[in-house]
Amino acid sequence: MIDNERELIAQLMKGDDYAFRRLIAQYHSLMLNIARAIAGDTFADDVVQEAWVSVYRNIVNFEQRSSLKTWLLTIVSNQAKARLRKESRQVSLDQLDGETPGSYLDGTHFKKNGHWQQSVPRWNNESPESLLEEQQLQRCINRTLDLLPSAQKAAFILRDIEQQSFDDICNILSVSAANVRVLVHRARLTLMQVIDRYQETGSC
Amino acid sequence: MLSCKQVAALASDYLDRNSLDNNTQLKWQIRLHLLMCANCRRFVRHLKITQQVGAGITKHASPQDAEMVWKKLQAHIKEETQSKQK
Ligand SMILES: [Zn+2]
Repeated sequence: MIDNERELIAQLMKGDDYAFRRLIAQYHSLMLNIARAIAGDTFADDVVQEAWVSVYRNIVNFEQRSSLKTWLLTIVSNQAKARLRKESRQVSLDQLDGETPGSYLDGTHFKKNGHWQQSVPRWNNESPESLLEEQQLQRCINRTLDLLPSAQKAAFILRDIEQQSFDDICNILSVSAANVRVLVHRARLTLMQVIDRYQETGSC
Repeated sequence: MLSCKQVAALASDYLDRNSLDNNTQLKWQIRLHLLMCANCRRFVRHLKITQQVGAGITKHASPQDAEMVWKKLQAHIKEETQSKQK
């Protein structure tokens, strides 16, 4: 994996267009999600396009003090923040993404004394490996991910899919550590409900 | 004694290894609750599975989208080079 990345970077620095296209295919969707979370849907496409121009220009100067992924995320995050300043929209992610009605934490799942209202649903299949092989579940999860508020989605992707540290996520999204944790937790709970439903009905 | 609602709210922190390191007391309170509460045990177990399933999801751009981004990028670079030469 690491060797693979070193090879890719070497090719990119030589100006190998094929390598650059591979880079786009691999990271464009991730970068778009970061841009959406920071700058909003309206500017996200533009921001990422600008970020790719910047990556294309500056890849020769990439000093490899961080991983390629972290470098790309920093570039798109900075572009998105700059764009937000330029549009003078003062939106703080910390204020976005309120509680989703019907979620596990919204109160309807608990009695007044804090006990579960109903027992937590049982799952027939508790193996992550075999759950991941279920195509229908994958589709359900992907569809749900796309419906999540953008900050939740970005925090979840960065943490659970891309396995970034909380510190890095705080910097990329400019959100406090406590709020990153809340965002990730909410996203997980929503996906858990998708799996609840899937276990019961076999669909979304 | 923590309530189930509190345990549900703290479950991700409990699963993330280091996040409760400076709050051992809370960690033990959660453990104690889990010892006695089958529902919360199931909830935390399911959350962990959800996390593992989530980690296995792949989200890549479609080949068409990637190709479009590449074409726009090429056009942009070309335009800038030409305007510099003028
Ligand atoms: Zn409980």
